[in-house]
Amino acid sequence: MDELIEILEEIQPDVDYKTCHNLIDGHYLDSLSILSLVAELEDAFDITIPTVEIIPANFNSAEDIWTMIVRLQEED
Amino acid sequence: MQSYCSLIYLGIFLPAVMLVYSLMPQKHRRKVLLLASYVFFWLVSGKLLVYLLMSTLSIHHFGLWMASIINEKKSVLAQAEKSEKKEIKARYQRQLRGVVTFAVLLHVGVLVVLKYSAFLGTNFNLLLSALKAPFSIPIPTFLLPIGISFYTMQALSYLFDVYRETIKADRNLERLALYMSFFPQIMEGPICRYSQTAMQLWECQKITYSNMTMGMQRILMGVMKKMVIADRLNILIKVVFSGYDKYDGSVMLIAMVCYTCQLYMDFSGAMDVVIGTGEIFGIKMPENFRQPFFSRTISEFWTRWHISLGAWFRDYVFYPLSMSKPLKNLTIASRKHLGNHFGPLVSGSIALFTVWLFNGLWHGSGWQYIFFGMYHFVLILLGSIVEPFVKKGTEKLHINRGGWPYKGMQIFRTVCLVNIGELFFRANGLSAGIAMFKNMVTNFTFASFRDNSFYKLGMDRYDVIITIVAVAIVLFVSIQNERGISVRKSLAQKNVVVRWAVIYALIFFIIIYGAYGAGYVPLDPIYANF
Amino acid sequence: MKEKMKLFGRCTAFLLILLILLSVASYIFMPKNNKKEFGMDVITANGILGEKENTIDVLIVGDSESYCSFTPMYMWEKHGFTSYVCGTPGQPLYDSYRFLEKAFKYQKPSVVILETDTIFREYKYSKHLLSRMQGMFPVFQYHNRWKSVTINDFGSPIDYTWTNDHKGYYLNQKVIAGSDKGYMTPTDEIQDIPDLNRRCLKDIIDICQKNDAKLIFVGAPTTKNWDYAKHNGVQEFADKHDIEYLDMNLIWKELGIDWATDTRDRGDHLNHSGAVKVTDYLGKYLKEKFTLPDHRDDAAYSAWDEALKRYNASVLAGE
Repeated sequence: MDELIEILEEIQPDVDYKTCHNLIDGHYLDSLSILSLVAELEDAFDITIPTVEIIPANFNSAEDIWTMIVRLQEED
Repeated sequence: MQSYCSLIYLGIFLPAVMLVYSLMPQKHRRKVLLLASYVFFWLVSGKLLVYLLMSTLSIHHFGLWMASIINEKKSVLAQAEKSEKKEIKARYQRQLRGVVTFAVLLHVGVLVVLKYSAFLGTNFNLLLSALKAPFSIPIPTFLLPIGISFYTMQALSYLFDVYRETIKADRNLERLALYMSFFPQIMEGPICRYSQTAMQLWECQKITYSNMTMGMQRILMGVMKKMVIADRLNILIKVVFSGYDKYDGSVMLIAMVCYTCQLYMDFSGAMDVVIGTGEIFGIKMPENFRQPFFSRTISEFWTRWHISLGAWFRDYVFYPLSMSKPLKNLTIASRKHLGNHFGPLVSGSIALFTVWLFNGLWHGSGWQYIFFGMYHFVLILLGSIVEPFVKKGTEKLHINRGGWPYKGMQIFRTVCLVNIGELFFRANGLSAGIAMFKNMVTNFTFASFRDNSFYKLGMDRYDVIITIVAVAIVLFVSIQNERGISVRKSLAQKNVVVRWAVIYALIFFIIIYGAYGAGYVPLDPIYANF
Repeated sequence: MKEKMKLFGRCTAFLLILLILLSVASYIFMPKNNKKEFGMDVITANGILGEKENTIDVLIVGDSESYCSFTPMYMWEKHGFTSYVCGTPGQPLYDSYRFLEKAFKYQKPSVVILETDTIFREYKYSKHLLSRMQGMFPVFQYHNRWKSVTINDFGSPIDYTWTNDHKGYYLNQKVIAGSDKGYMTPTDEIQDIPDLNRRCLKDIIDICQKNDAKLIFVGAPTTKNWDYAKHNGVQEFADKHDIEYLDMNLIWKELGIDWATDTRDRGDHLNHSGAVKVTDYLGKYLKEKFTLPDHRDDAAYSAWDEALKRYNASVLAGE
């Protein structure tokens, strides 16, 4: 989880990821940042994130992202 | 029936459908809606209804075909050894991809032929004559069925969603038909996903008093935007855009702002009528606008303006493309060389370019639409490229990026950029757009205000005043919404006298201040032509 | 069921209040006199509203052909019956209907003439609908008067006082010659009257019947706007509904029309010289076919004599 927050902060430092629950809907992460994020995550956690997973529900908070990462790791 | 803000739709069609709908038992209501939708389509486009029917049958068929492949895959996978699974998955995936590609090409093909063959043909002939070829190809013209750009997008999203297994293919043809054709959204969207509206439409709740009043409020607000503001600006905009060389820069500026305003009022007003109609029947359609003029960046603007279109391109073009194998590899490679910020930009910008090329073309077949798309592509890309430098700069200068002055500046800048984009969008061709922009910048005087000639361009002083008042009302509601206060919800808690008074006030505001009757030319819905 | 009744009750209450408010607003926005400065539209045609009650014998509606071809003052001078042209530029049929509706409130004409050029003018259903609503609630027509509404509009009664000396006729003595080449070449072709127009014509037939007025169709000569197929279309309709139809386009030679001198715009519209020829024929025709009174010695009609003097003066002045 800490590693995730580090990645997030590198991409967009102006957000408090512990409390923010509308990363997408609040326009903190735009589509290009999502690209960076996905590339980073795939690299760091050794997963593949398919296109269908890129929905606001999976990216709106650090927690949501973490849940997705864990799920994808298990599925693999 | 030319528009949702017409007497025939609001005064006859909708009430008639509501009456028949509420008199029918629940199980027949969906038939009422479907029949009403086809009658609506027939009234606007006549025999071209065939295209809609064909599209509906086709997605039903291809959906079930994909479903059978998916089912087969599942049953084979259940029996297979673990080592074979990957290979089986890949095999079925290839089959699925074949089906979806064929289906998508079919739908896109029809759209391209009907909508773009004249544009493509003309440009091909230009090319031929530039090459001094002794012949040219005949240019076919087709009648466009109403809403084809919208329902084709819905059809494609259904196919993609079935393919990605985010929804199950629907066996029920009637439900799919209703999803494709529901009359309020057929002409100008919003582009709904199957998962958003199909089941709601199928439920056919009864019309309740509160749904009806809430829907009516929303409809009236939309009609107000269209008839009081958009229609009133129509003459001025027509006059200035068609004779742009006759006026000075300040008139250009005003016409530009008026057009952006008109486009917003026309389209978001229509959406209010559409979504309000849905509300009456208990159907919650996705919003298409979220106070777009409070956006801080162009990229944010496109998540608040025509949301359903932007979301469609994001989900079905941008991510699939930028996450495809070759582009993903490119991302990984370029990240190594360019770092975390600029690395993903490379493949991102390829995907973004594709999105904006299609987005521009979706709006119409003409070079100015392509230019419009490229304009926004460049702005969004530039925004991303300069972002790290802006961050450094503001840190050095100790500017608070979260503070109101900075936010206000960003909003102002975004509004300006959007306005300039719409100027090219509306101009009669690309060269006219450039000439107008030049005129605006180099010939900026207030001469036409000093000698009052401005008021002869289609709007007298009274028109200007009432437009400002009406825009202020819309602005007030938008600001409240932006602050998270729903004016409509707080109104719903007031007593009946207040609520009815507001509705009557809106009705009479429209009747009295609407720009209709002698001396006005109503605007045809702009987005219905896309 | 109970819920449905409640909903129905609320809808009815809402609509009732709406109707009341619409009537009130209509009163406020109605021009309080039929003069231009009171906000009245097309005042020449609406001059009918200022005519004394039950004094008009013949009412004429139609588009520009009607007010360019028929001059009521000429018929007054020759035969002594009164007529008025409620013609407006490009008048669609629904407007013809509206003028009849308005005029019948104050007048009991025994003959109504519909100039036939408007019969083929196509329009959208929404326009027709709006026009009917404007008839019921004038606020839909005069809403733009919000720019000039004064405190007087809230209290004073509606009182129409203005009349037109030419009785709706448009006097024009310009000459731009036309030619009759190809004009009214006989054919068996029948130009169809659009469906909406047919329905509106039936409404016009009904409203005339209800008000005991005899409806006739009259076509004024125009080389630009008329042809034989149109004639056949109107003839078919007139026969079917048993309406008298006088098409002057067929007998223009008999009327003595000379396209070199009797038109002001190459055969599109007649000028005064043409109108006199046409009206001379029409006056005799009306007198012969219908029993129309002669008011020339009636003191109650002295205003017409005075208007005639001013009319003749304008004709002489070459206006």
